[in-house]
Amino acid sequence: MAVIAGRPKRGALLPKRVTAVTDSRLGSLGVFVIRRILWMIPVVFFVIVITFILMHNAAGSPWDKAGGRQLSQVVVDNLNKKYGLDKPVFEQFLLYLWNVLHFDFGLSYQYQGKSVVTLIGEGWPYTATIGTLAFLLIVPVGIGLGVLAALRQNTRVDYATMGFATLAASFPNFVIGALMVVLFSVLTYKWTGGNFFLPAGGWGIDDHLIMPVITLSLLPIAYTARLTRASTLETIRQDYIRTAWAKGLPERLVVIRHVLKNSLIPVVTTLGPTFAFLVTGSVIVETVFSIPGIGRAFVVAVTSRDYPMILGTTVLFSIVIATANLIVDVLYVFIDPRVRLT
Amino acid sequence: MHLRVSIRAVTLAATGMFVVSACGGGGTTSQNLAAPDKQIINMNDGTEPNSYDPTQQTYTYEAAVGRNVFQTLLVSNAQGTDVVPAGAESYSVSSDGLTYTFKLRSGAKWSDGKAVTAADWVYGYKHLLNPALAAGYVDPFFDSTIKGADAYSSVDVSSASAIDTFLNGLGLAAPDPNTFVITLQHPAAFFKWVVTLWVAPPLRQDIVEQAAGGTFASNDTTKPEAWAQKSSTIIGNGPFMISEIVSKDHVTLVPNPNYWGGAPHFQKIVLWFIEDANTAYAKYQTGDLDAITVPLANVDVVRNDPKLSKEAKVYPKLTTFWMVTNTKKAPFDNADVRMAFAKSIDRDKLNKQVQHDIQQSILSFIPKGMAGYDTSNKAQSFDPAAAKALLQKAGVTADQLNKFKLLTRNTTRNKTINQFIIDQWNTNLGLNMQLDVIDSKTVTSRLRKGDFDLYGPDGWGADYPDQQDWFDIYISSPTLPCPHGFNWGCWSSPAYDALVSKADTELDQNARNKDYKAAQDMLINQAAVAFIFQDYEYNLIKPYIGGLTITASDDQSLPGDLFWHDAYVTQH
Repeated sequence: MAVIAGRPKRGALLPKRVTAVTDSRLGSLGVFVIRRILWMIPVVFFVIVITFILMHNAAGSPWDKAGGRQLSQVVVDNLNKKYGLDKPVFEQFLLYLWNVLHFDFGLSYQYQGKSVVTLIGEGWPYTATIGTLAFLLIVPVGIGLGVLAALRQNTRVDYATMGFATLAASFPNFVIGALMVVLFSVLTYKWTGGNFFLPAGGWGIDDHLIMPVITLSLLPIAYTARLTRASTLETIRQDYIRTAWAKGLPERLVVIRHVLKNSLIPVVTTLGPTFAFLVTGSVIVETVFSIPGIGRAFVVAVTSRDYPMILGTTVLFSIVIATANLIVDVLYVFIDPRVRLT
Repeated sequence: MHLRVSIRAVTLAATGMFVVSACGGGGTTSQNLAAPDKQIINMNDGTEPNSYDPTQQTYTYEAAVGRNVFQTLLVSNAQGTDVVPAGAESYSVSSDGLTYTFKLRSGAKWSDGKAVTAADWVYGYKHLLNPALAAGYVDPFFDSTIKGADAYSSVDVSSASAIDTFLNGLGLAAPDPNTFVITLQHPAAFFKWVVTLWVAPPLRQDIVEQAAGGTFASNDTTKPEAWAQKSSTIIGNGPFMISEIVSKDHVTLVPNPNYWGGAPHFQKIVLWFIEDANTAYAKYQTGDLDAITVPLANVDVVRNDPKLSKEAKVYPKLTTFWMVTNTKKAPFDNADVRMAFAKSIDRDKLNKQVQHDIQQSILSFIPKGMAGYDTSNKAQSFDPAAAKALLQKAGVTADQLNKFKLLTRNTTRNKTINQFIIDQWNTNLGLNMQLDVIDSKTVTSRLRKGDFDLYGPDGWGADYPDQQDWFDIYISSPTLPCPHGFNWGCWSSPAYDALVSKADTELDQNARNKDYKAAQDMLINQAAVAFIFQDYEYNLIKPYIGGLTITASDDQSLPGDLFWHDAYVTQH
């Protein structure tokens, strides 16, 4: 086969042996994934145990009100009976575990007759939509800015990018959210006589999403950009990159095929938890933009001591985080040939 | 109503009027009414109702929905001075004050077109009083008044037969389809107000059972609430009905086509659940909301804005705030010491400097806007010299008092108010006391144990504008050991108990007023608590919303919501 100058066909020079190793790696991957999924069971169990203990030791009962007319003892006693809170805590715990085994996460204390599963089912789609969109924004923008800054190190491009990242990371998102509302909703409404403005909050699969997604993305974009820059700087000083340049490869190929592939390993490690963080919701973004998501529901559940809802959301969050980490570990196999799964 | 101490921004009342008309009282003609498809209002209810079953509702954001979808036997008039017929056309009270006979409104219909019958009322009241369902507002209003309901707390809620025996023994009767009779345990002049509570409408047994998938035992706690989960089975008898529930986002009300009082102007009321007052404020400015409560931080902005200031409406709420001393702890068991603390708070300065000059200083218990408001007793007025003299008289030194702390809920408003108040006490009494700021739930659990020295601001919001609702909170009761949610400071007096119990049961309104006045003097003179201010609402309302009847009993951020049936949108 003729070899075209400057573009060695990748794989052509690799011995067969390596392919065999790849096969066995994929085979062990299946075992690895199954084992990790099984490991989630004790993880979730301990999450339940810890949450249960902390929750029942937090001061106050679900029936205390923030002020004014408190429910009378008669009503509180009946409520305790209604929700089984009159039973010993250990019995409550066993009962809860038994129900969880049957995928019954109980009824919310706050919302009459609504199950925790229903409440999570209502709230999570909002949070997941915003979180996924934010993630889709973070990956290209964060990585792109990071690579750009590294390749143009110590130029104006680098300073501007890193300056932006520092600003985005330093401003708390409630400040950014509120500023954007004033700027793009209230003032823009005034300036354009009400003809053009972004909605100040609420839900809709339209321009309602712009401000919350940007607010949610800024900090992870800044973080990803800084990390990508540092990792890329390290990679471009490696010998194989020098070789790639020496071979006369165009910049695009050097960057995509050689630099990115290697510098992304630490970035992928953080993107897993970032994704988990995004789809479990941000109470601040959801409150500022009045989005009925799960992040706000979780915080409201904690402050009102809605035990089943606290447990339900915590279990959900722990599964999401464990799954995100699992996906990252699996991705390693494809990105980093040095990784062996055991 | 459940008063939330962490209430949002409120207002300055310049006038003595508490019923104001948003369109200046100008008559409407069909010319300036907006077209039916423009008769839409967007309001902010703040939080989604925890239940759409009115018997389970305990917060104002819940009652706002309950009261518009369901209708009670009687309702308050706009002035809050008396009741007017609603679900009942008229009512009569027997001469012994024990039997209330309600003649039900003829032609009243449910939103699905069926007639409202006396059996529906009996069913609604029994649903409310079922101890297994633990409705928050049964005790004390209904179980202490309706015959047989005093056994409410002793019913075994796991036994369906015990519950049935209890419910069937209640003083509720439907002698014919148009008459609903309630028998009481003892005369209670305020009972006409109890039936105005939003928790006491009729309910449809067939709908409740159909949604539950058939009949259910009385000790079942989940099936009886199935109907309240979706709009299609929430069949009410009020002026509006629910057309859509988007959980945590909004609920939409549309006219009940079968309402006896005729079709309202509003064709759609969207109640949004926006928790952040600043978001609501932004949405008002971009035209997405038609009325809001102004966030405290923006009050001055609104006052200085030429457009917004014209849309501002200020009106009192039936809510009074006070500071509590733990009277079980020396030296606060001494009335002179309590009075010294009460007299060393400059309330006007508090309202000007900390509360944007919205609230009104108050030295008494009953707020402006209902019977019993009386400013004549000024015993608690600001007077640092007299306060110091009282401390000296009691023989209490600064060292004794400096160890005390002011228990404070960890919210911005509570912290700011209490920082001002502790500074007043320290400055005016020559002390060096500290704040104790902790999260709200922990504060409540410490209050329950009596584990505090000073606490506030605590308050009361009227459930209905009768003085009984207010004065009963300081009655000491063997079934309700102190400290409890109505009386954290544990002030008590046998003379007060006797006076208020008498006023609660006697039927002559003038005699009641006289006794309540004497009881209020006791609270003030003995400094049971230190009264500090009455809450006001500071709202923005779009000028094109007409015919609003705003009252002191309106639900928070929803001006005129008790009379939305008569309000309208004008052309704009």
